[in-house]
Amino acid sequence: MNEKIFFHWESSPQTKEKDGPLSGVKIAIQPNLSVRGWPTEAGSPALEHYIALEDATVISRIRKAGAMLVGSTHMSELGFGLVGDTAGSALAEGLCDAALVTDTLGEARVASIPAGAIGYKPSYGISSRLGLIGLIPSMETIGVIARSPEIIVRIMQTISGPDPEDFSMLSEGFPDFTRIKNGAYPVKTIGIIRESQDALPSSELEAFQGALALLSDRGFEIQDLSLPDFRLFRIVHQVVGSAEASSDAGKYDSVRYGHRADGTENWNEMYLKSRTESFGLLVKSYLFQGAYFQFKNYPAFGDACRIRRSLAQETRSLFDTVDVILLPTRHLGAVPAKANTVAHVYDAFSLTCPANVTGMPAVSLSGFVKCGEVDLGLQILGPHLSDPRILSFASILLSSRKGDE
Amino acid sequence: MEYEPVIGLEIHMQLNCATKMFCDCANLPGEKPNSSVCPICLWMPGAIPQFSREALEKATLTCLALNCEINLRSAFDQKVYYYPDLPKGFQLSQFHRQLAKNGWLDIIDEEGKPRRLRIHEIHMEEDVAKLVHETEGQKRISLVDFNRAGAPLVEIVTEPDMRSPYDAMEFLRALRTQIWYVNTADCSMETGTMRADANISLRPKGTDELNTKVEVKNMNSIRAVGSAIIYEIERQTEELRAGRPIILHTRLWDPAKNITTPMRGKFSGPCVPDPSVPDVILTEELLSEIRSRLPEMPAQKKARFMQEFELTEEEASLMSADREVADYFETVIQEHIAPRTTAQWISARLLPAIKDRGQTISETAVTPKRFSALLAMVEREEINSSAAREALDLLFESDKTPEAIVEEHHFRQIGDADQLEAVLDRIIAENPDAVENFKKGKTQAAGFLIGQAMRASKGKANPKLLREILDARLKSS
Repeated sequence: MNEKIFFHWESSPQTKEKDGPLSGVKIAIQPNLSVRGWPTEAGSPALEHYIALEDATVISRIRKAGAMLVGSTHMSELGFGLVGDTAGSALAEGLCDAALVTDTLGEARVASIPAGAIGYKPSYGISSRLGLIGLIPSMETIGVIARSPEIIVRIMQTISGPDPEDFSMLSEGFPDFTRIKNGAYPVKTIGIIRESQDALPSSELEAFQGALALLSDRGFEIQDLSLPDFRLFRIVHQVVGSAEASSDAGKYDSVRYGHRADGTENWNEMYLKSRTESFGLLVKSYLFQGAYFQFKNYPAFGDACRIRRSLAQETRSLFDTVDVILLPTRHLGAVPAKANTVAHVYDAFSLTCPANVTGMPAVSLSGFVKCGEVDLGLQILGPHLSDPRILSFASILLSSRKGDE
Repeated sequence: MEYEPVIGLEIHMQLNCATKMFCDCANLPGEKPNSSVCPICLWMPGAIPQFSREALEKATLTCLALNCEINLRSAFDQKVYYYPDLPKGFQLSQFHRQLAKNGWLDIIDEEGKPRRLRIHEIHMEEDVAKLVHETEGQKRISLVDFNRAGAPLVEIVTEPDMRSPYDAMEFLRALRTQIWYVNTADCSMETGTMRADANISLRPKGTDELNTKVEVKNMNSIRAVGSAIIYEIERQTEELRAGRPIILHTRLWDPAKNITTPMRGKFSGPCVPDPSVPDVILTEELLSEIRSRLPEMPAQKKARFMQEFELTEEEASLMSADREVADYFETVIQEHIAPRTTAQWISARLLPAIKDRGQTISETAVTPKRFSALLAMVEREEINSSAAREALDLLFESDKTPEAIVEEHHFRQIGDADQLEAVLDRIIAENPDAVENFKKGKTQAAGFLIGQAMRASKGKANPKLLREILDARLKSS
């Protein structure tokens, strides 16, 4: 059973630190986070037989805090989408207390739903990406899925903070996760983006509005907001993301590591054949799209970068009048675990990718928005660096639900 | 129709930083292959580039030395192309937002006129790895040495202001002089720490057209840059006269055959902003701190030498072109040696002697102290200049003081009037014809007699005193 869930399994995970903040916490990771000596193929033939040379910064931090690393689960190729991902199953089966899941489009949030758990994507720049093997540097963060917000908070207290070796991080202004307990982050006003619901069929809209009605009953003020360009989030993600991915995957050239094709006559042939064999269909078509924007349609890429900045600004200004924004995590129509074309991937993650485009933090809760048997997830968004506030709000919602039961 | 060449240069200069541009590896491209590498410059999965502050400071100082305006905010882009010398499929370079723009350098052109040649921009970029092609049995293999991958470079792009191969060579010499002053790069075209590519096009003389250019690479000396441009001007002139259009492409200079050969279409891959290297931000404080490190530059120094020490323009140029020569010169004249004498001795005698011995002015045994002691003896007329030249050679061979060498080799000149009169008496007696000529008004006959007397004294006679005695003797007789 373990082999179906785990790509690499530690038979007797050890921890030297008995009294650390994470002592006794079992954590699963994905094989795209470097652990010295572990096979680290990131779900891609491009990294065939690759063994990590050093621990990622987040790995050394959670180890020092006493966490037990139980192994790495199977993952989608380079963390793009969720096809083949088993992190949620590891949590559902009780094989770990939390899993670190790279969130590029919304993977951590969406993966938490089938496990009935909580999925969290931190603000961009608060935890180190050193040792993370990803695909879209400006969109991806190391997310966490767990059964309680408290474990997520404990993990974030450990991994968030400056890393002098990751120059793409913030230099100051890190959120303070220790103040959550004192109720320092109240939430009174909830915003709903009108345009985020335009595409929802009536059954899903009803399920979501049911959840809002409960919140309204509990005294939260609900505000209607407008973001006319909401539909552009996924397009911007796709144009910018694919171009970045095309560059980022350029290092898989078969010269220094990874898969090298046999029987080639010269380096150019070696490149072409090795790279042809190194990627699955989904990633390969995504890389082609990115190369198209880089080589053939740079103006479209430039436009997308500009629209990205203005979307981030418009979104930030929405928080002038509300503390958090809510929307469902996924649609009924698209099945994320089976989305194996670029178009299907963007359909499946259209409600989560805005947080990756803007860098804002997001949490997804299970069990609040049910459409028949399918849980759509309730997503809480906050402005950049408001991570403690949205986690604290998640905690309040979950404990009030316990009160209802 | 007569054509006029339009020439611009693109110069890659390796900064002499201790580390590479995005990691802590030693910046030693020439060491044992792949001995100075790490996960970042090998671009192992999960690595994140760490932009070096030293590279930023040296690049900025370089731009200031070339009279550029500095952009306080610049950024790195990815220049995308696939080649085994590029470990990540792109080169980090500043394409959209460069470090500096609008610089210039002054040269004196072939006709002796001062010209200001403009620099369009200067940007930072990382160097690529080196490919080594070998054979393994029957099989040809290519090996990659990543020592140079990530070495810090600046690329200097000039405006197409040059009109002759001479202009281009003078620009490179002026550039090297400026950079040596700030000591941010070694600037050796021979070892590849400076690489200059030339963009050349032709236009009908007297017009302002900018026509299709051809890029020429692979010149390993300033002289080769000149030769390659000469060849390319002739080649393009022939093409145009034959009615064949010039096509944008890159050519390689072949130093053995003295020709250029076509290489490839000019690279024009995409340049996209890099998401992992944050914007490069210089604060006003740091910029002014770096500006304060600028030494007195050659042009200022030359003007001061002419004003303060009354050197001629040529002497002042020679004394200011190299910072170490200038420092040497100023150290020597502090010992109260006449500045012009010092400048002449340094340029005519000392520098050639140092060059012959393969030394540099900073490491030669002829220190400013020993050299000034030697010149002081010339000034005090204790030795004459031919003896001083011989003594200078001996200064290279031992660490004895100039005084000791002069004593040991009996270089001290004969300043005793009685001794010199005796010598002259003999010379006058032996050369009655010359004496006759002198009396008929042929003044050069005196020079002949002096020469004979010098030879008779084995070069040790004080020539000034000799002349005085001869004049008195010939007039009285």
